[in-house]
Amino acid sequence: MNRVNRLWAAAAMAMAVAPAFPAETVLQAIRMKGSGPILDMESAMWKQAKPVNVPMLPQMVATPNNLKPAVSELKVRAAHNGQWLALLIEWKDPTKSDRIVVDEFGDQVAVEFPIQLKSGAMPSPMMGNPGGRVNILQWRAAFQHDIEKGEPQVRDLYPNAMVDLYPDQVLRTTDARPYTGALGVDNPISRPKASPVLDQMAEGFGSMTVKPDQHADGKGVWKNGMWHVVITTPMATESANAPRFEPGGSSVAAFAVWEGGSREVGSRKAWSSWVPLKLGK
Amino acid sequence: MPKVYNWQIGREMEYPYEGVRPQKQFAMIMDTNKCIACQTCTVACKTTWTSGRGQEAMFWNNVETKPYGYYPLGWDVKILEKLGVQDISGPVYQGKTLFESAPAGERILGYLPDDLDYAHPNIGEDDSTSNMGQGAFLQVPHMQWMYYLPRICNHCTYAACLGSCPRQSIYKRPEDGIVLLDQQRCRGYRECVKGCPYKKTHFNPMTRVSEKCIGCYPAVENNRQTQCTITCIGKIRTQGFIAPPDKAREDNPIDYLVHVAKVAKPLYPQFGLEPNVYYIPPVHVPPQYLYQMFGGGVEEAIKNYRNASADMKLLGAMLLFGATPEIIHHYKVEGRYTIGYDEKGSELVRVPLKEPIYLRVVYDDKYQTHRSNIT
Repeated sequence: MNRVNRLWAAAAMAMAVAPAFPAETVLQAIRMKGSGPILDMESAMWKQAKPVNVPMLPQMVATPNNLKPAVSELKVRAAHNGQWLALLIEWKDPTKSDRIVVDEFGDQVAVEFPIQLKSGAMPSPMMGNPGGRVNILQWRAAFQHDIEKGEPQVRDLYPNAMVDLYPDQVLRTTDARPYTGALGVDNPISRPKASPVLDQMAEGFGSMTVKPDQHADGKGVWKNGMWHVVITTPMATESANAPRFEPGGSSVAAFAVWEGGSREVGSRKAWSSWVPLKLGK
Repeated sequence: MPKVYNWQIGREMEYPYEGVRPQKQFAMIMDTNKCIACQTCTVACKTTWTSGRGQEAMFWNNVETKPYGYYPLGWDVKILEKLGVQDISGPVYQGKTLFESAPAGERILGYLPDDLDYAHPNIGEDDSTSNMGQGAFLQVPHMQWMYYLPRICNHCTYAACLGSCPRQSIYKRPEDGIVLLDQQRCRGYRECVKGCPYKKTHFNPMTRVSEKCIGCYPAVENNRQTQCTITCIGKIRTQGFIAPPDKAREDNPIDYLVHVAKVAKPLYPQFGLEPNVYYIPPVHVPPQYLYQMFGGGVEEAIKNYRNASADMKLLGAMLLFGATPEIIHHYKVEGRYTIGYDEKGSELVRVPLKEPIYLRVVYDDKYQTHRSNIT
């Protein structure tokens, strides 16, 4: 058995032992008025949406992993306005982590949808599988920080840093580009952020790809030891790599969460199995 | 995990991927006996590659004083302590490599340095092991000692950074064995920073992804040696390509020094990465310390090195260090010269085995004065 097959066998085993949701657990996306992206997490509308508590399990199929992730449960609500679908995700996290240096990691949460919903051939909730492509919308605390306070400069991270001169201060932009590393090749982690949410797709471990067309948006607020994050995505786009949602329709959603203070990053995370999702008419 | 053969430890070992050797393997030899820690290499590397934002404390090339200098702080003693005491006595390594010591759920035994560990690139500089006592006189090996260890990425055959990355953002080039980190694919998980025991992948907090020594590949592609090699004022380095022992060519200076003369040794071979930077061990340092750092055979290396004036092939290979900016693929000793050739066999450089000495008469008749320097 090659490595990939071994991973899939292990993934299937992990899913078999994962606690199944009670049959009645359904994430109901309530229909709300309005149009455009749903970013207001203070709206009274959210009180009408019934929360679902999603148990979070350690990712233990792919290496490296963390068998004791810090977050064990997410509280999730869903709503839509006929154009945009939104999920309000909340979890306890005593430390707000949005500063990124070598030994500090950021808090993150992600929601995942199958791109095509075929009964009997559901993609793996663990980032999909070859042929079973999924859409993953990942919110990052560090991106939220950048959007609110601007991209950090060296002096923001290290107030006493001493620097004589950077190439971009003396060279033309094109000549200085080789000195900008990942920024110069438009790495989605490095480039200036338009949204705290990355719109991505995957077909299994290690295949996460940021989509060239970014549609999702979101917002996160940390208050009293809790993260409150809303992630919103258009219900229909031209993209072949985005799921289509319809009022009255149904799908499934899965989640992943990273607690930066516990150095959770990449495959060191907590994940959930698929949660049935129903959209109000 | 698949099994791969690591010639430096003389046995098969576990590695996350199948073992495929590149067509050619980038390699470097550094003579620690000649290094004076002037940091010209460090500055050459820094101005060429890492003068951008977020690279302020990043040194792809650094020179540290051993035993008390480290960049980042304590990099080698920390991982050695985690690995524990291992049996390195025999030609076949009986201990465990870092891959074989991976804890459950990990691909390798590693640790993530603290941010501040990178804040002291010159710590321990010029510090000796202890003070000289009253009435002490010098013995060899020295009872108090220090030496300089210049370091770059080892472009390992079984790179730990590559094996640690869950996204396969790091790759080893089949054409020259240089290990590169894809700046577009990396997502800044820092698994490579944690996994590399030499701590030669670095995190850039401005771009939030990792970066590493690129083996000056644009130069190497044009048959030129790396910046750190060609700028070395002490001519302590040579850079070229190495073959595994069964394919070693005696006319390749790097193969000759590593496989035939056996004067150059890898850094911490017990980690199991098959690093491709080789060091001529310092002759004045107690062998107990050198065993741990360069593996078995250091005494033989020092003996052969000391005998270089009688071994013309060895002397010839060593005299080509820093003699040309071009990569030397072949060499031969002919008459009074050692001659370096490129890959196609064209002569690159010709170095006399003995520096010509000209003696001048002590008294200068023209200026009617005595000369203070006559050679």
